[in-house]
Amino acid sequence: MPDPTDYSDLIEADRVHRTLYTDEQIFRTEMNKIYGGTWTYLAHASELSKPYSFVRRTLGLRPVIVTKDRNGQFHGVLNRCTHRGATVCRDESGTARRFTCPYHNWSFDNTGALVGVPMEEGYGPDFDKSKLGLGKLRVAEYRGFIFGTLNSELPDLETHLGHAARRLDEWMDRWPGGRISVRHGQHKLICNGNWKLVNDNSADGYHPGFSHASLLRMRKDRYGGGVDMQWVLGNVDEGLQTVADLGNGHTFLDQRREIERYWDQSAPMPGEDSYVETLRTRMGEKAEAALDMVMGSGMNLNIFPNLLIIGNQIQVIVPRALARTDLIWYSTSIEADDIPPEINSLRMRLQEDFPSFGEPDDLANFEECQSGLSVPEMEWLVVSRHRTTGKEYVDEHGHTTGPVTDELPIRAFWAEWQKWMTSTTKLVAQ
Amino acid sequence: MDDLHDETGGAMKSLDDYFDPGFTVDDILADAKTSPYINDAYYAKLRADMQEWDAAGAPLTEAERQDYEALILQENWLLDRRNFERWYQLYTRECVYWVPAAHDLPANAELDPQSHVTIAFDDRRRMGDRIVWLRTGVAYSQLPPSYTAHHASGFVRVSTVTKGEVKVRSQFILHEMRANNPVQTLSGWMGHVFKSEDGKLKIDRKVVCLLDAQRAHHNLTFLI
Repeated sequence: MPDPTDYSDLIEADRVHRTLYTDEQIFRTEMNKIYGGTWTYLAHASELSKPYSFVRRTLGLRPVIVTKDRNGQFHGVLNRCTHRGATVCRDESGTARRFTCPYHNWSFDNTGALVGVPMEEGYGPDFDKSKLGLGKLRVAEYRGFIFGTLNSELPDLETHLGHAARRLDEWMDRWPGGRISVRHGQHKLICNGNWKLVNDNSADGYHPGFSHASLLRMRKDRYGGGVDMQWVLGNVDEGLQTVADLGNGHTFLDQRREIERYWDQSAPMPGEDSYVETLRTRMGEKAEAALDMVMGSGMNLNIFPNLLIIGNQIQVIVPRALARTDLIWYSTSIEADDIPPEINSLRMRLQEDFPSFGEPDDLANFEECQSGLSVPEMEWLVVSRHRTTGKEYVDEHGHTTGPVTDELPIRAFWAEWQKWMTSTTKLVAQ
Repeated sequence: MDDLHDETGGAMKSLDDYFDPGFTVDDILADAKTSPYINDAYYAKLRADMQEWDAAGAPLTEAERQDYEALILQENWLLDRRNFERWYQLYTRECVYWVPAAHDLPANAELDPQSHVTIAFDDRRRMGDRIVWLRTGVAYSQLPPSYTAHHASGFVRVSTVTKGEVKVRSQFILHEMRANNPVQTLSGWMGHVFKSEDGKLKIDRKVVCLLDAQRAHHNLTFLI
């Protein structure tokens, strides 16, 4: 059993220990100290478009509700009745001015305040409803991305995001004046593996040519070279992609310099030829820039611990148990007066491509990792790639950057992980 | 209602003649390499389909069973045998195979594939992509491969206003087994829209409404 107060025996400069993925006690500690200790992604503002709307989410394993009050302010409350502990909200999403616990009808407004207790006089004259509101998270929003924490000592969200916020800006501002809408369905993929296997992969530029051989081979056999992701083949260290450590555990894999023309290099999608003809007829040359918005961004931006912005999608890691993770791919559209609806229909079809032909192969590999990591006699995983090859450099923003197969993002993740796992900050629901 | 049975002259009576025995994945590689027919009108047709599927259906007559039920049972059998190249031949040139990622209750806007992602939305080209992908031998989510057992029942014919089409709805249970993994059970209903093409009865549109469409799934890389 690892020492619960110090993980330095398990995390070394160039290798990490298998128990980080297989130990129940470590998992329970992560769920409490990382999720809730740092700023954790909860929801997107476009999912809460109406006043009084709500979505049900988790903060680690804690059930939470994210709400929007009548003034447009977002709140995060623990979905746990202060009376006997039952959840008060059982719908995935909707609109509600109040959450009434079905068990004894204690009733809370959508900021969490206790506003009704049946036969209240039975609790005696000293009963104080103002002390029995739902537990509250500290919540903050950055341009629609809503995060929550139970840590009152954390710096504000934008400071915490640091340069990752600039990359998020680039992702959001691909179409000037466009707004990202996250109301177009999700792919919800179950992986019977530890949640960190997903993080390990999210800025791993070493795996695509191998783990995604099926997708790459299918495309090449059917459509020849030049389309979608062909830049991941061969010695990618000699290519133009990079990875960077953005600080606070946030990491970035940049494919953009490999993309000469987004639309031309996009994966195929149903409706492609019919809508291209429609748009070129209607819009002339202006169609081309709009078509480029169909293809993914060429960015993998990973915001510790659970938010992965990849292509056009927002992926959220939802740990359910030590070896069970739900990976939710929220599809997005762009809302702008000068983006025609055909572009967003094509985006829907394109956003089905990787969850169909790419991600399942990764998830199968993660599950096989989980299986292999159960072997007690084989203790370590290698995370040293490009640590000592002299290929890393500090970019103009002061961030360590390396060739795309550099395992730098994994090392940055573990440094941040260790910081939160050894933190002594007391987490409080206010 | 139209009855395609008359038009096809009992084409289903001899399935041996139905399939091109020399048709392989190499033929799929060269087939349908563009995607010219999914457009606003096609999406509107799918929305209209969902309205029609909601109606009560009538049990199939014996003649209808010979045509439509037989073809659905044949489709299930081909999928269970992993004979994807024959399965592909059951579909029209402007087909769709659609598995929504949202519950199919009436008036659920999230069901509209024009504005929402799905578990599968395959036009003929993507259907071909999927078969080529399954046949690469390096799709690790299908290594080891999935084997399925489809069970279909409750076949009913549903009215349609579209001439030259026949709609058949059925209930299904599907068990899927991949080595090293527990057997998965999926259930729900399917809608098949039949058309006659090149003198053969074919599937033009298939929708698979999973009971748990909106929930998370473990590895749906096999065909339903």
